[in-house]
Amino acid sequence: MDKQLELLQGTLDMLILKAISLGPLHGYGILLRIQQISKDRLEIQQGSLYPALYRLEDQGWIGSEWGESDNKRKAKYYHLTAAGKRRLQTEAEKWNRMAEVIEGILRARPEEV
Amino acid sequence: MRLWRRIGAWLRALARRGRMEGEMEEELRFHLEARVEDLVRGGMEREEARRRAQMEFGGVERAKEECRDARGVNFLEGVAQDLRHAFRTLGKAPGFTAVAVLTRALGIAINATMFSLVSAYLIRRPPTYEPERVAVVSSVSPAPVFQPDAYPVSAPNYLAWRDSNRVFSAMTAADEYRTVSLTVQGQPGTPSRPEALRSAAVSVNYFSLLGVSPEFGRTFSDGEDQSGRDHVVILSHELWTRQFASDPAIVGHTVRLNRENYTVIGIMPSNFRLLGYARDLWTPLTLSAEHQTPAARKDRSLQLFGRLKPGVTVEDARAELKALGRRAEESFPESEKGWGVAVRTLPDFLIYNFGIRSGLAIVMTAVGFVLLIACGNVAGLLLTRAAGRQKELAVRISLGASRLRIARQLLTEGLVIALLGGGTGLLFAIWGVDLVRAGMTFNEEVRAVPVVLDRTVLLFALGVSVVSAVLCGLAPALKASRTDVNANLKDQSRTASASQAHSRGRTILVTAEIALALFLLIGTGLLIRGIYMLEHQALGFRSVDLLTASVTLDSAKYKDAPRQLQFVRDVIPHIESIAGVEDVVATSDLPASGPDSVSFSIKGDAEQPSSQPLSTLDSVVSVDYFRTAGIPVLKGRAFTEMDDATAPKVLVVSQEFVHRHLHDQEPLGKQIRLQVSGGTGEWSEIVGVAGDVRTYSEASRYDPEVYEPLLQRPLSSFLLMIRTTRDPSSVAPDLRGAVSQVDEELPLDRVMSMPAVIERQKRGDKLFVVLLGVFAAMALILAAIGIYALIAYSVGQRTREIGIRMALGAGRGHVLRIILWEGLKMTGIGAAIGLVPALPLPKIFESVFFDLHLREPRLYFFVPAVIFAVAMLATYVPAWRATRVDPMVALRYE
Repeated sequence: MDKQLELLQGTLDMLILKAISLGPLHGYGILLRIQQISKDRLEIQQGSLYPALYRLEDQGWIGSEWGESDNKRKAKYYHLTAAGKRRLQTEAEKWNRMAEVIEGILRARPEEV
Repeated sequence: MRLWRRIGAWLRALARRGRMEGEMEEELRFHLEARVEDLVRGGMEREEARRRAQMEFGGVERAKEECRDARGVNFLEGVAQDLRHAFRTLGKAPGFTAVAVLTRALGIAINATMFSLVSAYLIRRPPTYEPERVAVVSSVSPAPVFQPDAYPVSAPNYLAWRDSNRVFSAMTAADEYRTVSLTVQGQPGTPSRPEALRSAAVSVNYFSLLGVSPEFGRTFSDGEDQSGRDHVVILSHELWTRQFASDPAIVGHTVRLNRENYTVIGIMPSNFRLLGYARDLWTPLTLSAEHQTPAARKDRSLQLFGRLKPGVTVEDARAELKALGRRAEESFPESEKGWGVAVRTLPDFLIYNFGIRSGLAIVMTAVGFVLLIACGNVAGLLLTRAAGRQKELAVRISLGASRLRIARQLLTEGLVIALLGGGTGLLFAIWGVDLVRAGMTFNEEVRAVPVVLDRTVLLFALGVSVVSAVLCGLAPALKASRTDVNANLKDQSRTASASQAHSRGRTILVTAEIALALFLLIGTGLLIRGIYMLEHQALGFRSVDLLTASVTLDSAKYKDAPRQLQFVRDVIPHIESIAGVEDVVATSDLPASGPDSVSFSIKGDAEQPSSQPLSTLDSVVSVDYFRTAGIPVLKGRAFTEMDDATAPKVLVVSQEFVHRHLHDQEPLGKQIRLQVSGGTGEWSEIVGVAGDVRTYSEASRYDPEVYEPLLQRPLSSFLLMIRTTRDPSSVAPDLRGAVSQVDEELPLDRVMSMPAVIERQKRGDKLFVVLLGVFAAMALILAAIGIYALIAYSVGQRTREIGIRMALGAGRGHVLRIILWEGLKMTGIGAAIGLVPALPLPKIFESVFFDLHLREPRLYFFVPAVIFAVAMLATYVPAWRATRVDPMVALRYE
């Protein structure tokens, strides 16, 4: 396994929104899905996941309801709200622009400056 | 919107906090267990898996805490915690808390009390429809009378202006100050007793223009101002309750007014009160041909109201009415010369009419200063405490409390003190309002306005509490939140004394307090001195052993001058036959009670410019007036029985008249013509000069005055003045008996002794003196507390320094001098700052208060001396205590 990357500040929210945009998940499921999509290359502090979930719910971007997990246990499932969808879209656009700009900067060769 | 949603979420979150905690618990447990299952499935020992899952997750409690924060619940919980903490810390310092709360309570109490007056007199809206669209039209008198620009209007002007103005949709007139007698039939066998009532004669559209409806019955209808239909009356709620047992069936019945039968058509509700005090009843104002004569132009007795047309402003109305006034002045120079017109909105007029605005403004300013001083003290106390708690706060910050949290907590402490103070203050205010209400009885207008601690006042008190809490709490909170952790955790007690920056804020506070207190003390001192001088001035007549009563002869029985005079001739012997009565006179005005002013001209002198006609006070008196009142006749003669309607007209003038208008020339024999309503316009000869009498018993000035003989100018309304040889009030019942022997249906009004009359005229001043005295004393006490607290604190901080100095051999006297010098410096600077704005105070007061001459340079030395003495005492006590400290103890003192 490669050494895991630490999460850039402020990106956890976006990742959570993305993870549940693919379908409702409980907290642990979100963790697993992010790790799965990132092929285990991201390190997520489990303890910081829940405060982020609560904050997102408080802001109205995700909703939650209690349901049953695969192994027949009661679990809290999160889903994306309409506002959350829009939010994810703008966040993703912002991120892509940012990444492009930074990439451009890092690729700059002396003769281009 | 967002904020509301948030607040809603907080409240919901709070409401289901228990459930939420459980859910959070469950959710996190699920996470850990799921992780454990996964790890076990991956082949790990269960015990090991559990350990691993815990480790990966990190602190569960911290996560929960962060979740609560994210949910926004923590804020409210934090507030509750702050409150608990605030109560606990305040409880641990009961002395500090008591001083802070009491200081604040006093500040809030006097502010709430005074504001109850402002609320009652200045803020209350008249009970009419859109009162700011009602304009009040007044005359502006050229004579220097009280409120010359709120003078009533004559009937001819009313009719002309009503018919020719283009700014009002309707106009109405009211003669507000009439007295009528109401005779209520007593039980069979007992004589019916007439009662004098305040009535207003109003145009039939008066109530509809103002937009008020009766409680029962109806208001006047068109045509009821015509002779024959005008015997209808509307009763006030108060009179209806008192005399007719609140029986609605009285509507439609007749009552006996001024010996004639009037049909009751309506009852007004109890809140209907317009010009100050409530009238007892209203009758229609009838204007006939005689109200169009030139003589009627001089009878100015109508208050005019106009409802502004849509789109017309009060400025438009003012311009229009001023133009109409000028037209009247051009057309009738003989009676209108120099007169003007004033237009105000109804609310403005009512406030102005009370004449209480400037007085209240000054009192409110004074109490505002007292509150500022109180705030300064509490801020000083909090600062002092915050400084003493630097170390505690530093420890808390280093243990992880956020600076915001610390600031919030200190602010909460300030708020708790403020609210405790505010609550206690309101309790004081209940008592204060009672006190003020008991004092606000100096005239009917003022007495009739209810002064209560109503919602407005409570809101005001709450607002003041919170604002002052923030003001007091903010400085210490900001300061504390900037606490330098390192500096404070290092052993601070090794430094010899507190840093300069720490004490600067408090020094500024105390200096400002001293300045405010000095200013306040000089201001109140001046007023108290001024009012004291008025209380103890010679009035110019003998007021003791005089009984007075007011008589209004109704037109039903006394319709002309001979009948009115005959009543006076008949009643005087009856009164003189009462045991203990020496003399009886009739007069238009009691001495020193502000008679009306009239303009006049002197025969042989050039005509005065119309803008500044000569004017003089004018009283009408019966024959023995000067002897009875004890006013000396200095020159010439007093009136005799010979000065009757058939004899040449004569006058007696006052000394001030001779001085000011005749320039001290020989007065006897000079001819004068008075511009009086109902006067004949003949020249009168001056036959005597009387001693000066103060214009008002409550003011210091003398104005020129003329006296006319009653026999030459009969009155329908006058006062009886009786010189007695026994207690005047014991004569009162006999006086009523004597009058009823002459006329059974004639009521006597305001039967009271002359000292009681004077007392009544002065009542307001006395209340004022008491209030201002209280404020001044409180300002001084509060400033003293402030100085004491500051010096005591800074001396306490320097105990170690003092110990070192004394250990090194400094004498007690030396140390004491150093500390006293510091207090002296602060006091000196504060006093100098306060003295500057206090210098022009006498001028300001003279312009605000009607004739109050304040010349008291001694105050400018005396007050600073008192301030210095108090400040020195407040400095000396802690300084003395500091020098008693054992140097060894002081060195270890922290």
